[in-house]
Amino acid sequence: MVTRHDPVDDQPTRRQGGQVGAYFRGERREVPPPDGSDQPSSMVGRVAIDDHQRSAGGGLITAGLVTCIDSVGGFLSGLTVLPRWIVTSSLAVQVVRLDQLGPLRVEVRVLRKGRNSVVGAVNVVDEGAGDLEVATGMITSAVLDPRSMSLESERPAVIPMPPPVAEPVPLETFFGIEPGTGRTTRLLLDDRLRNPWGILHGGAVATLVDVAACRAVADGRAVPVATTAIDLHYLAPIRVGPVEARVSVLGRRPDGTVARVAVHDLGNGDRLSVVASVTVREL
Amino acid sequence: MALGGYPPELHFLADLGIELDAGHHPHTVARLPVTPHLLGLDGGVHAGVLATLVDIVGGSIAMRAVHPDWMVTADMSLQVVRPAVGQVVEARGSILRQGRTTLVVEVEVFDETSDDRPVAWSVLSFAVLPLANGDRAAVDLQSLPSSTVFGIPGLDQHLLDVLSIASGDQPDTLAMPIDQYVRNSIGAVQGGVVALLAEVAAARAVAASLQTAAPVVSTDLQITYLATGRIGPLVARVRSVTADPASASGRGIVDLVDTGADDRLAAVVAVGAMTW
Repeated sequence: MVTRHDPVDDQPTRRQGGQVGAYFRGERREVPPPDGSDQPSSMVGRVAIDDHQRSAGGGLITAGLVTCIDSVGGFLSGLTVLPRWIVTSSLAVQVVRLDQLGPLRVEVRVLRKGRNSVVGAVNVVDEGAGDLEVATGMITSAVLDPRSMSLESERPAVIPMPPPVAEPVPLETFFGIEPGTGRTTRLLLDDRLRNPWGILHGGAVATLVDVAACRAVADGRAVPVATTAIDLHYLAPIRVGPVEARVSVLGRRPDGTVARVAVHDLGNGDRLSVVASVTVREL
Repeated sequence: MALGGYPPELHFLADLGIELDAGHHPHTVARLPVTPHLLGLDGGVHAGVLATLVDIVGGSIAMRAVHPDWMVTADMSLQVVRPAVGQVVEARGSILRQGRTTLVVEVEVFDETSDDRPVAWSVLSFAVLPLANGDRAAVDLQSLPSSTVFGIPGLDQHLLDVLSIASGDQPDTLAMPIDQYVRNSIGAVQGGVVALLAEVAAARAVAASLQTAAPVVSTDLQITYLATGRIGPLVARVRSVTADPASASGRGIVDLVDTGADDRLAAVVAVGAMTW
């Protein structure tokens, strides 16, 4: 996943990965522990905020932030358990500042490395606004056997930032999210949305969840909304599609509406694959 | 007395008077009689108390599901969407996913004022611990009743006082001793108590940051359990606070450290707090 994941590389593996990670333009840089320390590395990522990826809150759409955290945290967790690798099992992000200038800096450090899981703590600041705090989060990964996947990498690992694209593709177009309103939102599973394991990229799932929750809260009204917290639990891989997010509003609070989002793989017997809570604020 | 001798008679779970009913397959249900000693500043049941109820339901489900192996709570998220102001709160849990090494459980919490709308929603992840030769014997599931009452409500003062939760020796810290009254069946501090200590510490820090006299209570908990707290005192250190006066809300990140075990980090809790 390390060398096969270079988003600017056009190697054959590109067919099955890299495109979601490259849609939100980010770089990743491993920070080794001090000499003599037996602690794991940490990881610093940097993500640009392209205008077509800004939410109504002014900053990066929260799904984009989640995707970058997943990329940075997943990469770090994988490096931590080499020669084995990981898949993300849960990811929680709380956004405390929506009006970000960018670029954002995503820092992840390993809190616990267990036999079957790795836990990382996430901190995000806005470099364009003097390192103001933007978000915090936690990412938990399950350790697995990488089978035949190539995992070689130079250390410390570095993945550079892709250049801006000449013709930006709208978010919902890129992610195959069907237009609509209401409490059900569908995503068509195109191959470019698969990760190197061949399953729907966790960032694409996060984007579907984010868009679905915002649509459900807006409920057809032309009100600006943005996600301030998202808590994702990946239960099963999504391989077939189409993919459907079903939103139930749990309650409305002064700080936003809290929704439960269940993501089902329609082509795989309607299997429940992801469950999430999302807090959406009307601005 | 409840499951395999746990909790013992002198235990906060017994004093809460929780009733656990695992006979509603595929759901497990726990009920908590609400007393004034469980309420927060908003008049609703403390988020940490709801987390305790959720932890019991989740733990009961997980214990039965992974039998004869054992399990520990890896993380818990909880969102309170309205104050729990009824006379009884009820948590209903079921399995979302069961894998070889993990189990994910969803729990909804209701009170009798909710009209089938939950007052809180939670997801818990458990790590499965294989039972190896030489470990303690597996729990005999056949011996466990499907329904049990942990005790009768017996708190004579507020739960925070009963647990001796008090300001620590540094700003933005709260401390709590660890004794038999709060230990779980493996001798570590019960997960719900960890949640309670963290959420109270964070709510106080957010209130101070908002500079408001209005009641600030915790509504969102995202708890990652890293190590067992066994010695104590267990100290909640709020290391990052942000406040948004426009929405009268804020967020605190709380490190829970076992100060009796070289400040070992037992859990990290992200807490959202607000005024209704």
